[in-house]
Amino acid sequence: MLATHLYSAGRASDCGASCSASSLLSSTMLRTAALLVCMLLVFGATETFAAGKKDSLVPNAVPPEGTYDGEDVKQPIEFPHYIHADVNKINCMYCHTYARRSKVAGIPPTGKCMGCHSVIATDKPRIKKLTEYWEKHEPPPWKKVHDVPDFVHFTHEKHLRRFVFDNKGMKVENVSEVCAFCHGEVKKMTVAHKVKPLNMGFCRRCHEANNGPHDCWKCHK
Amino acid sequence: MGLKNINRRGFLKLMGWSGVGATVAGCDMPSTVTLEEGKETVTSYLTPEEYVIPGIGVWYSSTCRQCPAGCGLHGRVREGRILKLEGNPDSPVNLGKLCQMGQSGLQGHYNPDRLRSPKARKGGKLVDITWDEAMDLIDQHVGSSAGLDGARFAWVTDSISGHQAMLIDNVMSALGSKNLFIHEVVNSEVGQAVNREVLGDATPRYLIEKAHTILSIGNDFLGTGDSPVHASTEYAEFRSSPRGVLGVVEPKMSLTGASADLWMAIRPGTEGIFALSVANVLATKHKMSIGMLPQSIQNAIMKRNLNEDARLTGVSGNHVIRVAKWLSSTPGQSIVMAGGTAESQVNGYQNGVAAMALNVMLGNVGKTIVSSHEFPFPQLAHRTGGTGGLLDFVKAIDNGGLDVAFFSGANPVYTAPLALGLKDKLAAIPFKVSFTQFDDETTQLADLVLPILSPMEDWATIVPKVQGEHAVISMQQPVMEPLYKDTRGMGDILLGLLKKRDSATYGGYDSYYAYLNQAIASFPANMAADGKAVTWNDALAKGVIAVKSGEKHLTTKLSDVAVALPEENVEFPLTLLPTPRLGLWDGRHANLPWLQEAPDQISKVVWDSWAEIHPSLAKQLEVETGDAVRITSAQGAIEVKVYVYKGIHPDVIAVPLGQGHKGYGRYADGLGVNPLEILDNVTVENTGELALYSTRVKVEKARNKDTLVMMGDHDVQMGRKMVSTVTPDVFELTGGEA
Repeated sequence: MLATHLYSAGRASDCGASCSASSLLSSTMLRTAALLVCMLLVFGATETFAAGKKDSLVPNAVPPEGTYDGEDVKQPIEFPHYIHADVNKINCMYCHTYARRSKVAGIPPTGKCMGCHSVIATDKPRIKKLTEYWEKHEPPPWKKVHDVPDFVHFTHEKHLRRFVFDNKGMKVENVSEVCAFCHGEVKKMTVAHKVKPLNMGFCRRCHEANNGPHDCWKCHK
Repeated sequence: MGLKNINRRGFLKLMGWSGVGATVAGCDMPSTVTLEEGKETVTSYLTPEEYVIPGIGVWYSSTCRQCPAGCGLHGRVREGRILKLEGNPDSPVNLGKLCQMGQSGLQGHYNPDRLRSPKARKGGKLVDITWDEAMDLIDQHVGSSAGLDGARFAWVTDSISGHQAMLIDNVMSALGSKNLFIHEVVNSEVGQAVNREVLGDATPRYLIEKAHTILSIGNDFLGTGDSPVHASTEYAEFRSSPRGVLGVVEPKMSLTGASADLWMAIRPGTEGIFALSVANVLATKHKMSIGMLPQSIQNAIMKRNLNEDARLTGVSGNHVIRVAKWLSSTPGQSIVMAGGTAESQVNGYQNGVAAMALNVMLGNVGKTIVSSHEFPFPQLAHRTGGTGGLLDFVKAIDNGGLDVAFFSGANPVYTAPLALGLKDKLAAIPFKVSFTQFDDETTQLADLVLPILSPMEDWATIVPKVQGEHAVISMQQPVMEPLYKDTRGMGDILLGLLKKRDSATYGGYDSYYAYLNQAIASFPANMAADGKAVTWNDALAKGVIAVKSGEKHLTTKLSDVAVALPEENVEFPLTLLPTPRLGLWDGRHANLPWLQEAPDQISKVVWDSWAEIHPSLAKQLEVETGDAVRITSAQGAIEVKVYVYKGIHPDVIAVPLGQGHKGYGRYADGLGVNPLEILDNVTVENTGELALYSTRVKVEKARNKDTLVMMGDHDVQMGRKMVSTVTPDVFELTGGEA
């Protein structure tokens, strides 16, 4: 709620951390600030609660707080994440194979799609469309949904190492729970929809809760 | 506390909290970039190579084409785009280093002004055509049935080497033409002529790292020499313990001059006298033998008079004595390097001979000056030229005219002095073809424009101008896919031309890639430095093929030296120096913003031209830095802002090369002036080279102060003691060797 509210205020006034005193005088901002103070106080409690959750599939981690209601992005093929990741239980990293090795998770090569879909579900309209691209030797022009600004250095590889591979007790088959920290429950979606704010406050709170690095240059190189 | 009934105290309290709130709230503001959901397309691979991981760079070897030196490159490619260039440590030319021009190769490749489709002149205007139409047009003019007389065809190019050079040769012989003109403004042709005559080897290797003393007479080997990065790596070793001593004598301080232990301003044209003067002190004060020199040169040395020479050259006798002392203490371990401003003058050849006589006298030949590697494949060897190529091209037009002219690499309309009248003469050539990436001045006059691939997209083999410890062939491979589908590789165009003439030999090659692949596969194993068969993948991975090379025996054939003084000129009392610099070079890099932005190493000026003048001349002209002057030669005038500087002889005005383009893209167009325009058409004696530094000019104040944009505003330390200094008196006492 809070993030959504600030998002609208931010879009209207384009006001960042360096807001002038006069703009802070507006009653909306005063209310916002007061709400924030309350939220900050509550935040500590939430944090403690999350850390103490016993049934979490991701041990030693506090999932970041925050929601966002992103735009519906029209993709060249309406890729059903739920059929792959939920119904068929395919690990996220099977297709997004670069996530554990690189800063980007990577869109799977079209060849990887065709590895299965040259024989599976070939009669479905989406697969027919995919096959058309493949036969033209053109990858589908996917649209980017999750992005951070160019001045932010984010790396999937380091985050997966912290929450999955170097995380004692973490099972790799549950990796989608870690992906969901920032991407939401993509395995319940068709095409990906942005449901987390992915802004600096969101990143900072998670770094604080999970003891991530606090140096500015870690992200702003 | 209700927000509506807030009192002053409450307000202030809240303000304190809201400051914190605003900071955190700021972090929660979505950036305008993150709002762009669904705008950017992310293109996946179809089937990637196993080693390709998006987000992680892959390095490919290639060769730098920014100047003729031929340094080895490593290019970092990510997601199919070339992002960064570095030196290839396996190349003995640059040993892993790369200069600013090399680094800026990226900006040529990604330049928004690159030409994207072939154009032909129709109704006086260049209009887009297809490649098939373009090749048909060429065929109409130079094809087997065109009836072209080879003598009426000419090809003007920059330095060439490797398999492209061989194909150009084959095209020339197929057309029955000998008019291949290699043109470079920044060149060492006069020095090569001296070396060829005296040492029997045009391009001997100067072992800078083995020398203890170097005397440069006008040779800017660290900045604009034959292979600046190679020289710099050797120079670093020369300066490491025991530290070598560098003396530089030149009319205007160059990058090399700025690094010298002793820098001496000399009146241009008197460098030969300076060399003989040093020889005189060596013979008389240090009793060094001059018996190995011919009698005429011995006489020329012995008749020098230190005081008289100091008056003629402008270099004080004390400095001559100090230089002689350095040289005498390191016999056989010094190098006297003439070049640049000393050699590209009317009497430059003689200046070069006088400097070489010093080397012979000091016993340097065979020790610090050794034979070049005899490259075993002469058809692939590096071939360079100077301004002589340009003059010969003009002569070819004058002697009966030309029907067809091809231009690749060179931009003669920009580099030719107006006195040559090239622009008008080109109008008389009915069919001019420009193979180019950019709309330069020569391309603007062409009848057919063929957009070629950038060196980041094209195949080539390069034989470096100056070989390092061992001879190599350097591989140039595409580091990414072509940006524009309607551009073609130079090698592919050459193959296309040859296929039409000789399909039996060339018809079997689908592309220049296939041709090179075959050429490397058939490389004789006994000619490889390690005696092993050369494989295509190894050659590409390493970037260089080390080849076996022979050594020549250097001669020391000196006959005579005649160091005449430049003639007095009352109307035009000053000498104009159009100085090249490591940056814009001869003007070819004026369209690269990084190099425009990089401050000149001496004046620190960016994005402009300037004229360097001595403070005494500035006083006489009543100008200061930023005022504009008009520089007038017998050929024309240019107006340019002055930069007042002590590192220049008072009889000289220096204007850097590279600016003054008309066209050549958005970054080069309309900036500064081109000093080449007002040069006199005079040549260096004994060679067919244009004397770049023999144009006499007069200078007068033109306009009042304007902004001359430069990094930094002072050439003094403003009392901050950033660099320790000693007074001239102390320096004289210690000889600067404390």
